[in-house]
Amino acid sequence: MAGLAIEQPAPTLGQAIRRIREEGATYQGLWSWLTTIDHKRIGMLYGATAMFFFLVGGIEALILRLQLARPEQTLVDPDQFNRLFTMHGTTMIFLVVMPLSNAFFNLLIPLMIGARDVAFPRLNAFSYWTFLFGGLFMMASFFTGNPAGSFIEGHLGAPDGGWFGYAPLTRGEFSAGTGIDYWAFGLLILGVASMAGGFNFAVTIINMRAPGLTLFRMPVFVWMTLVTSFLIIFAMPIITVALFQILFDRIFAANFFNVAAGGTPLLWQHMFWLFGHPEVYILILPAMGIVSEILPTFSRKPLFGYPFVVFSGIAIAFMSWGVWAHHMYTTGLGSVANAAFGVSTILIAVPTGIKIFNWLGTMWGGSISLKTPLLFAVGFIAMFTIGGLTGVMHSVVPSDYQQQDTYFVVAHFHQVLVGGALFGLFGGIYYWFPKFTGKLMNEPLGQLHFWGMFIGFNLTFQPMMILGLMGMIRRTATYEDGLGYGLWNMMSTVGAFVIAASVLVFLINVVVSMRSREEAGADPWDGRTLEWGIPSPPPAYNFATIPEVNALDPVWHEKYVEKEAGETVPAMAGGADLHAAEGETPHLPSPSIIPLIASIGPALIAAGFIYIDNPWVMPLIPIGAVITMVGLIAWALEPATE
Amino acid sequence: MGFRRVSIMKLATVALVVVVTPVLTSCDALSSTQNTFNPSGDVAQTQLNLFIMVLIPAIIILIGVFLAIGYIMVRYRRREGDPIPPQIHGNNRLEIGWTIAPTILLLAIAVPTVAAIFDLGGDFEEDDLRVKVVAFQWDWRFEYLDPEYADEDGNPLATQDLYIPIDRYVGADLEALDVIHSFWIPKLAGKQDVMPSRDNTLRFNATEPGVFQGQCAEFCGISHSFMRFTTTALEPAQFDECLAAIAENGEDPVPEVCVP
Repeated sequence: MAGLAIEQPAPTLGQAIRRIREEGATYQGLWSWLTTIDHKRIGMLYGATAMFFFLVGGIEALILRLQLARPEQTLVDPDQFNRLFTMHGTTMIFLVVMPLSNAFFNLLIPLMIGARDVAFPRLNAFSYWTFLFGGLFMMASFFTGNPAGSFIEGHLGAPDGGWFGYAPLTRGEFSAGTGIDYWAFGLLILGVASMAGGFNFAVTIINMRAPGLTLFRMPVFVWMTLVTSFLIIFAMPIITVALFQILFDRIFAANFFNVAAGGTPLLWQHMFWLFGHPEVYILILPAMGIVSEILPTFSRKPLFGYPFVVFSGIAIAFMSWGVWAHHMYTTGLGSVANAAFGVSTILIAVPTGIKIFNWLGTMWGGSISLKTPLLFAVGFIAMFTIGGLTGVMHSVVPSDYQQQDTYFVVAHFHQVLVGGALFGLFGGIYYWFPKFTGKLMNEPLGQLHFWGMFIGFNLTFQPMMILGLMGMIRRTATYEDGLGYGLWNMMSTVGAFVIAASVLVFLINVVVSMRSREEAGADPWDGRTLEWGIPSPPPAYNFATIPEVNALDPVWHEKYVEKEAGETVPAMAGGADLHAAEGETPHLPSPSIIPLIASIGPALIAAGFIYIDNPWVMPLIPIGAVITMVGLIAWALEPATE
Repeated sequence: MGFRRVSIMKLATVALVVVVTPVLTSCDALSSTQNTFNPSGDVAQTQLNLFIMVLIPAIIILIGVFLAIGYIMVRYRRREGDPIPPQIHGNNRLEIGWTIAPTILLLAIAVPTVAAIFDLGGDFEEDDLRVKVVAFQWDWRFEYLDPEYADEDGNPLATQDLYIPIDRYVGADLEALDVIHSFWIPKLAGKQDVMPSRDNTLRFNATEPGVFQGQCAEFCGISHSFMRFTTTALEPAQFDECLAAIAENGEDPVPEVCVP
């Protein structure tokens, strides 16, 4: 990849290994990517892989929308449809939005806190490889998932229980074949990757901030990453337990969710949503952090109400643990429980509103540059307002008895996840692309992407609000003619293809931009935070000298001073030069292949369990276990640097 | 793009979506027999009223936020040579204001919400029509539990579609034979999940005669989309005759007396 700090030409593999162990140098080529423990490269790996899965999930969505464009179509049969919507949801949440957020954590956190890397670089690499193998493992289910009907016979083998996998439908007697096993094990593997990342970033942010960088001088994106990391740490174990329970039911004939033996299907829902609700805040908080970085830069004003934006993020995270049963209003929990969760859910709108108002306040009175990053950030605000308000509509419990399990819910969560999270993440890509590649993204193509996606998004999802209130259920492969659903579904399908076209524009933009000869420079946007004080792309060691931080928005304060009259003018030259690279190159941890090796094990173990009755595949359990053990021991024995 | 074109495109898209679609909706809504916008039962009406109660302030807030965005994009757009604007960090009074005001509004919404939860979640009453709704992959069965509709041996009458009298509440016991389903008649009442191992119930009525669509609303496997039923609401006398006719001759074809 052009643009990252490369010091020597590529040698032979043997020479490369020796040089890596001797000098910690990084090289071009596949090997350097397989052994990298550099947070910037890992961030790029996360980003590129997430984009690949985004295209897969997007194609799944297009097939679903084609099927639903007209009533009573049979483009795909219900069995295939159920697998496609299960994989669409699972892919978009776990293989796209979470890893894309993780890409930003990786790329930015060390730079924004003035560190050279994360606290545990090899664990960081392990997170990525585990995610990759977990994602590929899930995708494999399309081809290998159902022994009774494989892809080759025209029958997808992917899981078909929905992304939420309600029991007892997911038990063996109602879901034959191996699809659900792939789903559950896949999520377990991905959960390991997420947990590792959660710990890594929490420790990094708490421990590795530059001198003077107090918690309340951290950029909001760093705060949101910290909060998200804690949400991940506490939420993942819950779904891990639930997944073990359903897997035990399926593979070892346990009875957790077997009604006949006294099991409780409702238990699955409680556990899933106790994880699931914090999960949706895991999905949105990083994007909110990105928006909180973009708006000040493009308004040339500091974030309005910084402490309130930070506290509202923390409040959302705490409150997210008290609302889970709003996904279960219709399950018969009783009036008291429904009322309690109704009130808690209604109130969680308050911290969200605080953020929206503070973002508007940031732009108010500013000097706003309508470049692509800002368009996506403002698009986020507009779309998330709608999403949040429809959330309040859901929180009114008796109305939710009508809305639950209809397209109104589908509209709501796409509003916040696409109009919200995805817009924020795309804004971040346009914003920080020049920092990590040294090239600005093409602005006209960016504008085309934004408007195409904005129009396409609204065309796709606003009709769904109407469809839901008109009685169209969700997770349905088709719908009857004569109910008035056809027009809105067709609009929605057209919108989906408009979104697809805009994504194509984005991909073209990436290619065009990478080839551009114009250098972006260290600070193309007149930014405020530490990453804009070092070259683009950053050197391997990030900061030649660890900066000493005296204020929020340190780079802005290096560049500008506020006079008594309130006027802001450029500072005199000669402040601390973060570009300075005299003296020795800082010592960095060495690259290592061991995280990749250790991450192979879990997927093999999972495969062995799924086919536990097959004498040829079952040995993967001990083989995978041995590989993981060897990997972990080698990891412990390998010195961090040489 | 010139700034005027940027903000006009934005406003135009918003207008298209927010203003035009409700207008278009009202034509379709009223004719559909599965629509929540045109209730034929008291429970659905209560639920719609609550929805409108939230929808109106929501639209006002939405328009307010969008107008603010539009204004900001036009008024504060950067022009060549603009100085760096005053570096304002915040305003505590505003913060308190826009924390307290939404909280009050939301608590105001919470009050009728909680009231309706308890109101709709009440126990069955003496003269409710008792029905057992049995859900299974992938169809429904309705059993009339009142002894006047049973046969000589005391077995309850069972039908494939639901028949109810108007202006009388139905107390439905919900029973699932396999996986989780959800019992939903949009024009009469919001749904309630039919959960194996739980005794969920739904109390609802119809206030006018008609045939209303119902559908399973919890994903239950391969034929989830086709797990439908109809609910026919009849005048009370006609209802009794209808059940008698079904007891005599079955539902296939539907007896004439069962058509509202």
